[in-house]
Amino acid sequence: MEREELKLQLKNHIIKYLNLLEMTPDDIKDDQPLFGDGLGLDSIDSIELIVLLEREYGIKIQDPKDGRKILADINSMLDYILEHRTK
Amino acid sequence: MSRIAITGIGVISALGDSVEANHNALVKSECGLSSLQLFKTIYSDTLKFGEIKIENEQLKNRLNIKLNGITRTSLLALHALKEAVNDSKLTKSQIESYDTALIVANTVGGMCLTDELYQDSNSKENGSEYLSSYDCGSTTLFLQNQLGVKGVCNTINTACSSSANAIMFAARLINNGYAKRAIVGGVDSLAKFTINGFNSLGILAPQNCKPFDKDRNGLNLGEGSGFIVIEKESDVDDKKIYAILSGYFNSNDAFHPSALSDNGEGPFLAMKGALKTANLSPFQIGYVNTHGTGTENNDEVEGRALKRIFEIVPPFASTKSKIGHCLGAAAAIESVFSIIALNNHEIFPSLNFTTPIESTGLTPLLEYKKYSFEHIMTNSFGFGGNCSSLIFSKK
Amino acid sequence: MYIHKSTCISPQQTYSEVDLEKTILSVNNILTVVEPKYQDIPLNILRRMGKAVRMGVGAALPLIKDSKNIDGIIIGTANGGMEDCIKFLNQIVQFEEGRLTPTNFVQSTPNAIAAQISITTQNKGYNITHVHRGLAFENALIDAQMLLKENLDFNLLVGGVDEISSYNYNIENLGGWYKEKEIDNTELYKNDSKGTIAGEGVTMFLVNNCKENCFANISAIKTLHTNKTDEVAEQLKLFIADNISPEQKIDLFITGENGDNRLQNYYNICEKVLDKNTGIARFKHFCGEYPTASAFSVWLASQILNNQIIPKHFIKQDRFPQSLSKKTLSDICNNKVERILIYNNYKGQQHSFMLIEK
Repeated sequence: MEREELKLQLKNHIIKYLNLLEMTPDDIKDDQPLFGDGLGLDSIDSIELIVLLEREYGIKIQDPKDGRKILADINSMLDYILEHRTK
Repeated sequence: MSRIAITGIGVISALGDSVEANHNALVKSECGLSSLQLFKTIYSDTLKFGEIKIENEQLKNRLNIKLNGITRTSLLALHALKEAVNDSKLTKSQIESYDTALIVANTVGGMCLTDELYQDSNSKENGSEYLSSYDCGSTTLFLQNQLGVKGVCNTINTACSSSANAIMFAARLINNGYAKRAIVGGVDSLAKFTINGFNSLGILAPQNCKPFDKDRNGLNLGEGSGFIVIEKESDVDDKKIYAILSGYFNSNDAFHPSALSDNGEGPFLAMKGALKTANLSPFQIGYVNTHGTGTENNDEVEGRALKRIFEIVPPFASTKSKIGHCLGAAAAIESVFSIIALNNHEIFPSLNFTTPIESTGLTPLLEYKKYSFEHIMTNSFGFGGNCSSLIFSKK
Repeated sequence: MYIHKSTCISPQQTYSEVDLEKTILSVNNILTVVEPKYQDIPLNILRRMGKAVRMGVGAALPLIKDSKNIDGIIIGTANGGMEDCIKFLNQIVQFEEGRLTPTNFVQSTPNAIAAQISITTQNKGYNITHVHRGLAFENALIDAQMLLKENLDFNLLVGGVDEISSYNYNIENLGGWYKEKEIDNTELYKNDSKGTIAGEGVTMFLVNNCKENCFANISAIKTLHTNKTDEVAEQLKLFIADNISPEQKIDLFITGENGDNRLQNYYNICEKVLDKNTGIARFKHFCGEYPTASAFSVWLASQILNNQIIPKHFIKQDRFPQSLSKKTLSDICNNKVERILIYNNYKGQQHSFMLIEK
């Protein structure tokens, strides 16, 4: 799958997993921080995103501290998925 | 206003199936945490729990229960309740009078039966025997029926602080003239629901929990039940009075659904309010039974709140290092432990502690001690920011 | 305990523009709420909420967002976020206890409603959740009553919340609590069979000790656990004797009759306790049966006391053949309605009496 196609799929998964009401993939910028002041996600959301990576891409993140780096923004998530996906 | 006297206590936990057994284990600083032998989950061998090693059938036999559809939650509750009621020597006519209240705290209800509930809630036929046993109220209704209680009956669920609020509600019923006496406690049994719930939040400890330690890494879930009988002191003739419930307060941290605020405003307000109700100054508290779950968030915040309340923090410890976090039963069981401590002039240590948390520098009590004191505070803080503190005092 | 404000989210039009004349019909023996747009709840918080939490917070915020001094939040709910609860359970089974998403778990605890109201309004006051099945709301009221005795100047939010999801519908249905044949809610009382129809709803009240400008007064509450009809009647007589002086009159008796013929005797025997000229009204065809439905009846009583109108469909007509064509309550009672007695019964085991006065 190409990066652009994967990006759209990922954004749609994020919207679905986090139930981001009234948001479309275009509303999530590729380099916008997902946590803190960016999209305003919190620690529970980070767990939801780790579950997303496991269920959708077969990626298991054991240490939540690694998670913070991988989940920084859409670009970092994409890089990680492309390299580590098992499905 | 007459004071609220505790005239009976009962408990069942991973440390034992009676007040005496629990007391003996506390004196010896025993730990009740272990792998699971009775309850089946994929975490049975990999995580540690405060499991009571008595099977349901055995509990049913002991309690002479022949009914169908009775959950472990209900059985554990009846076990502790009977001990407390017998201990207080309440007569049958007292129990069955319209001025005896029954207040029970509970968070999992019959959800200990995950597979049955899964079946029943997802199907249109062949219901199990547990259809009316899943909600939290079912345990209270079972107990009400067993005892024939006719006064105010209630079930409270404020997550981990549930039974502190049950005790507080019961005392207020008496103070406001809605009841003359109350049988009050809390119960929870191990459930896949809570095990997986806490696990999904990443706050279950892989080994025995280390309350207030710098390297603490989560909590252990436990199960059990604690009950007390409370009466107006002026109504108690020549019966034994274990202690006086002198203070209580409920406050909300108003910060996050599953975490406490950094400076522990909710815990601070709960402790401060309990001291005010009891008309006590902080220095009069001889010992604090902390909430002390062993999670990163709770212990640091609770420590901070303790330092805000107490100029010199009194001896404190967490019995969750011995029985795990019993959720809806936690405050009731720990109230019984507090009353035991007060009565026997002794304080019980925390286990598995080595290094203080940097920001608080607090060290819990590390050895069993004979120690005479007048007032004990017990804390319970929960999900949803529900924070409550109780104070028990010598008669 | 004086009601100053209230909100009601129910299967009927009770939230923004109240219309008690029109009855929305049940579908498959279920009355589902008409959810409003929750303008007061920030989207970033709303996205995590299950129905019960959403409805609870949505009904609470309009009452308290302008009040600086809310001293307590007291919620009665038998089940809280039942749908989230079973969703989490389904995850446990489907993913064999593997890595699960925590949101359903956090939202499913019944105290999430009161908690979320506190968080959203930064309220650090008294906060509690009563979950005593069919008397969860009544215990919330008793708690509020006590708090107002202990603190004369307190303002409290007290409410009842329960949702119907396909999951708890299945459990109750397997237990035989709903009608086997599909009926219309408008025909609820005509069907001599076991079971009732499912409902759900949220009712919130702002209460304090201030009589001035109040909406209604919840003056007495009593709860009872028994399956004996005689005992219920006995306790009702006592409740009346304790709370209503001989020169006072009960103008309307609202009952929780729900079409389940196994429970009809409780209602029949209570009706006989009252003066035979007392008007009788029912409400479960309007909101359906659920553990905290009695909260709806208190809201309905306060509406009747204020508007002095009760649509005909609430009135139990078989007792007043002469009034079949009449519409307003004053026609039925021949004078102003100042005092309403409510009797509710949950599954023949939990009973409550409440007295609501002008």
